[in-house]
Amino acid sequence: MDSFQKKFIEEATDLINNLELAVLALEQDTKNNELIAEVFRIMHSLKGGGGMFGFEDISNFTHNLETIYDEVRNGNLPVTEDLLSVTLSSVDHLRNLLNADALNNEHIKKNHEILFERVNAILQKKGAEPKVTGDNQFEGETKSNLQTIYIYFAPNESIMDNGTNPLYLIDELCSLGTKSLVFPRTNKIPMLSRFNSSKCYTAWEVFMVTDVSLNEIQDVFIFVEDESEIEVKKIADFDALANEDFVEKIQELYQKKNHFDPAVIKSLLKDIANQKKSVVATVNEKLKVFTKENIIASIRVSSDKIDQLMNLVSELVTTQASLSLYVEENQVYELNLLAENIENITRQLRDTAFSISLIPIETMLTRFHRLIRDLSTEFNKNIEFITEGAETELDKTLIQGLTDPLMHIIRNSVDHGIEPEDERIKKGKTPQGMIYFKAFYSGANVVIKIQDDGRGIDLEKVKQKAIDKEIIAPDAKLSEREILDLVFIPGFSTAKNVTDVSGRGVGMDVVKRKIDEIRGSVELESKENIGTTITIKLPLTLSIIDGLLVVIGDTKYVLPLNLVNKIYAYKHETFKDAFNNIVVVDGEQIPFYYLRDEFDIPGNPLKVEQLVLVKYEDKKIGLVVDSVVGEYQAVLKPLGKLYKNHEIISGATILGDGTIALVLDTNKIINEFSFKN
Amino acid sequence: MANEEIQITNSYLTFQLHNERFAVHVSKVLNILELVPITKVPKSPEYLKGVINLRGSVLGVMDIKMNFDFPITDYTKETSILVLQVMIDDDITDVGAIVDSVHDVIEVDEKEILPPLSVGIKFKSDFVTGIIKHNEQFIMVLDMDKMFNTEIKSTMEEFS
Repeated sequence: MDSFQKKFIEEATDLINNLELAVLALEQDTKNNELIAEVFRIMHSLKGGGGMFGFEDISNFTHNLETIYDEVRNGNLPVTEDLLSVTLSSVDHLRNLLNADALNNEHIKKNHEILFERVNAILQKKGAEPKVTGDNQFEGETKSNLQTIYIYFAPNESIMDNGTNPLYLIDELCSLGTKSLVFPRTNKIPMLSRFNSSKCYTAWEVFMVTDVSLNEIQDVFIFVEDESEIEVKKIADFDALANEDFVEKIQELYQKKNHFDPAVIKSLLKDIANQKKSVVATVNEKLKVFTKENIIASIRVSSDKIDQLMNLVSELVTTQASLSLYVEENQVYELNLLAENIENITRQLRDTAFSISLIPIETMLTRFHRLIRDLSTEFNKNIEFITEGAETELDKTLIQGLTDPLMHIIRNSVDHGIEPEDERIKKGKTPQGMIYFKAFYSGANVVIKIQDDGRGIDLEKVKQKAIDKEIIAPDAKLSEREILDLVFIPGFSTAKNVTDVSGRGVGMDVVKRKIDEIRGSVELESKENIGTTITIKLPLTLSIIDGLLVVIGDTKYVLPLNLVNKIYAYKHETFKDAFNNIVVVDGEQIPFYYLRDEFDIPGNPLKVEQLVLVKYEDKKIGLVVDSVVGEYQAVLKPLGKLYKNHEIISGATILGDGTIALVLDTNKIINEFSFKN
Repeated sequence: MANEEIQITNSYLTFQLHNERFAVHVSKVLNILELVPITKVPKSPEYLKGVINLRGSVLGVMDIKMNFDFPITDYTKETSILVLQVMIDDDITDVGAIVDSVHDVIEVDEKEILPPLSVGIKFKSDFVTGIIKHNEQFIMVLDMDKMFNTEIKSTMEEFS
């Protein structure tokens, strides 16, 4: 396949994803002209690109859809449920069509024909006449209702006394317009000796291009109207700021005078009005420039390159550590400063490189929106999907590993959790069910919560099933928590009937395993008839961590620094004589683990040992080590297949002198040892 | 192409475990290292000796002598680490195997490799895929994939 086609497929995949997003949004807000325009624009790009790069099927298929959305855009066609569902089906179909041989597949071909018919039906029904709209569209683009407004705002000196910040008002004002030029007038500012910092001496003059009415603009100043001098007037029926001459002239005027002379402005505008046609041209050009800049603001990079960058940064971090070590050991004064600088830069480079491989959770939410929409239709349920914290960022590899388990959880919620409407009404719940998706940072973790207000999990049923499957003994006494945890045991699935969606034997155990694979944890809470909440905790980073380098015996270990709370030195006897592995630190009882013994490390303990307090859930736990070396940036390397089931060590890192330090997973260590004791 | 080459290469690296000689096909061997300090991983079975730094990556090392009922002896300056490429769970992985000493590479015709005997030999034959008679001495050919996979499984059992 030639590279242009590949490029097109990449772009088209993006376009189709955006299309899906736009259509889903349009469903919520069928009157939103921007979204309609967006859908039209995507169809248009797909059609054009498809034709150009030899994807005739895509081109033909999108042609009619484009026409429909053109009609919608011009107000000749309404946005109907039917139209949206055809469009969504088309989204899937378009994805298939990106595969060049797609139409050789019977199934896809049939689908293609059916969709084609449906699209045509919509078009025919309304008797669209594409040719006429072509002209309309052209005029619609050139005729805009933009106008240029002049605002003068001179607040009362004491405006700040009641907490008003005039700058916020100016910000709010500017947000109403597509463009604005703000000129502060500072000529009233008194001599420093008479200057009172709590008073406002500045006035503002604003030229703004907008399509909102004068009243709306007035409303910005509604609370300060009485105590300020405000003037809002329309000075032109077009976008005067698009004219560079005009902008230049008023900037010149601003330098010269303390107040714009309305007469001068008027004559300036008159000049431009005469060249109105060229102004329109400039507007168009400006828009083009604007969209171009938009594209350049983010570029497409293959994930291989990012992986490569991360690897190089990792190596740099290791090399830098060798350098620091060398400088420290040899006391080369001249190198000291350089080494410190390099350390700083490496740290920043590491953070930047790392942030590149982060993507917001939002990227997978579209799929969930779609999934819930499709499933609710299928099961005839009414479900609202609420998301929060979509901007939370995660490593791309984590997102990849997370999508499947999350899909499964959401499927479960829709299929088993949320009740049908009539059942909900009977139970006194709102007819519309809710699935709430929330993501947020919590310390070194990202937490994702998925909550539904459905049936919840029937503990008795779970217990009975576990007994039937001989997972637990019939007379076993289990706490609520323990019963819920049964759900994660392989081969467990509570669905009475196997449905198409969930309950195919692959259940929560797979979810748990997948999340374990990316070093996360999953927890389940459920109240009958109130709902189920699933909480997933994930590590923020996968490859490089800030660590605390410690020594036990002749081996060095790294503890994740973000979990380290404080370090105390104690005599060996303190730990040896401690009752029940508890020491009192700053008046607080701290349970501790003596790692030398726990790890079965031979040799004699030191006289003075270090107690490192680490955070564990909401508690503080002490880990006793021989000595603490200091902070260390650890490049996490896997221990390899031989140690793949070794949970307490999350990896290894190579130190500056070439030896290996083991990175400890403190949570797992505490889990394991507390369980054992 | 590459496959054919491997097939026509009949070279085997021979090494010593206790007083027996063993062989492994050269295509499995990436490197031979002298014994370097090994970082012990706490809470792991005894035959997993720990990890070493192999040119910037971390290599797990196993004492394969413990797979046979040989007495455990101290390491000498002859002790070496073979860096092997094995299949574990359908993935190609590098692992280190500690051997008492490394001998030479011998050329063996496929026909000269005899099937392993199922009775009458003194140690577990699970990993022995054939026997080479070379200079009046018997050399056992080892299946490293199998050996490392068996070990992993028993490790898993120990941990679960």
